[in-house]
Amino acid sequence: MATKHTFDYDLIVIGSGAGGSAAATIAARDGKRVAIIEADTFGGDSPNWSDVPTKALLHAAHLYDEARHGARFGLRSSTLGYNYPSIRAWKDLAVGRTGAGGNRRYYENQNVSAYSGTAHFLSPNEISVNRRHLSARSFLIASGSHWVAPAIQGLDKIDYLTPRTILESIRPPKSLFIIGGGGIGVEIAQLMAIFGTKVYIAEKASRILPHQDAEVGSLMERTLHEQKGVTSLTETRVLSVIKDGLGKRVTYLRGGVEKFVKVDEILVAAGRLPNVDLGLENATVKYTPKGIEVNDQLQTSAKHIFAAGDVLGRDSHTHSALLESRVAANNILHKTKASPDYTATPGVIWTFPAVAHVGLNEDDCMKRDLAINKAVAPLNGIARSNTSDFRDGFVKIISDKKGVVIGATIVAPHAAEMIHELALAVKHGLTADDIAQTPHAFLSWSEAIRVAATKLT
Amino acid sequence: MTGLAIDIVKRGGQRPSEQFSHTKLHASILAACLSVRTPPGQAEVIARTVTASLISWLQTKPEVTSHDLRRIASQHLHTHHPDAAYIYEQHRITI
Repeated sequence: MATKHTFDYDLIVIGSGAGGSAAATIAARDGKRVAIIEADTFGGDSPNWSDVPTKALLHAAHLYDEARHGARFGLRSSTLGYNYPSIRAWKDLAVGRTGAGGNRRYYENQNVSAYSGTAHFLSPNEISVNRRHLSARSFLIASGSHWVAPAIQGLDKIDYLTPRTILESIRPPKSLFIIGGGGIGVEIAQLMAIFGTKVYIAEKASRILPHQDAEVGSLMERTLHEQKGVTSLTETRVLSVIKDGLGKRVTYLRGGVEKFVKVDEILVAAGRLPNVDLGLENATVKYTPKGIEVNDQLQTSAKHIFAAGDVLGRDSHTHSALLESRVAANNILHKTKASPDYTATPGVIWTFPAVAHVGLNEDDCMKRDLAINKAVAPLNGIARSNTSDFRDGFVKIISDKKGVVIGATIVAPHAAEMIHELALAVKHGLTADDIAQTPHAFLSWSEAIRVAATKLT
Repeated sequence: MTGLAIDIVKRGGQRPSEQFSHTKLHASILAACLSVRTPPGQAEVIARTVTASLISWLQTKPEVTSHDLRRIASQHLHTHHPDAAYIYEQHRITI
């Protein structure tokens, strides 16, 4: 008779962020013995260090900024000010209210054994956490990713900020040099500029937000410069950084000319890498520094080990990690396997105006040699821009030659909410005509979607 | 450097775990370098550098396998002396 192997747990989840927590709770509800291991703060990056705190701060900053510029609506705001410690307290309240942020009990209340410590595979079915050996029938690796510092001379010799550490700053710095003009870099640039920081943002590409359509980058660059005084240094390579008195001196190369600027702080937001230093070789899991290799069912090269979230090295949206976590839980628990469907996964940059996109952008279509139609509706063409006195933004819809919507980009005050109409269209193959025929409320920003769709019919 | 309290799980888990010894690691890397006729001074410098890198990697890990030590040490050794790294990886087969 074959020996029946016994394990401490049915499932061990490494990482308590979006990629891990959903699977852990689903498996626990299914009656499985589940453990979750967290090397950092329980809840992971999203509630503790990225989405929730950043958006809470951006909300406060936006309120302050709107009120400050309220004179044109007849509001008196000359004595308006802010208290940064109180703003930080608001941010901490928002983090605390998520329930998951830094809260080990959240998992224990759901019958999930929670362990603090770094997980390290000793063998395919056994890990070590603080010298404690735990075994399981299945594993889900959702260890997330971390900010990496680019190879810049002198960066290892100075203290610099990351999008995580800047959230804990006692006060906004007087001047800030941001290395990396992606979504997070631009969000923090606007946040700090609203609170009075002189911001420089350096990006190697020819525009900030290089992964978005060209119009988005140029519009945000102009908006940040004209309204917040942010200096965007595109096509710029940072050569070296050095401590200079109480501040730092950044030397960069732009247009073949070497220049320098002295700032109080430097923020590095030039990319993230997956956390793969988990002894994966001992578990025969194949990986590269860019992420763990998985099949369509999120199964690694070891059949009982699955992976989800940022550790896969794909996009780093929390909602994608949650989707993968649910799919991984299904595939671990059930014989009928599922695959994550990333079609129509929206991406949002929470600036003001916000930037949201779904499906393919124009560059994606060019790379795929797709024949497309596109239409752009500027916000200043709709009635809401008059009543809100806001004109910078647009809705852009891309359709194939049959009129089926395959992608969209919105730059507008409520772009994050507006994009889901177009996500629904992309997901279910609706045509631009379907959208144009749908009534849109007068004086809503969404009227711009109808206008763009009408142009495609 | 010697203050690190790290348990090393031996190959296949067949033998009992032992405490990490930086002297033992240093000696093994030195031996690999010397076996490919590296000048003793250079071998000593490489062994010290690789041991320091490995100790830095071990800072957050209370327990690793002997295979992990060998793998990470050979990764670092490869950048300093590829021939010695080959011997370090293969010595069980070649001896």
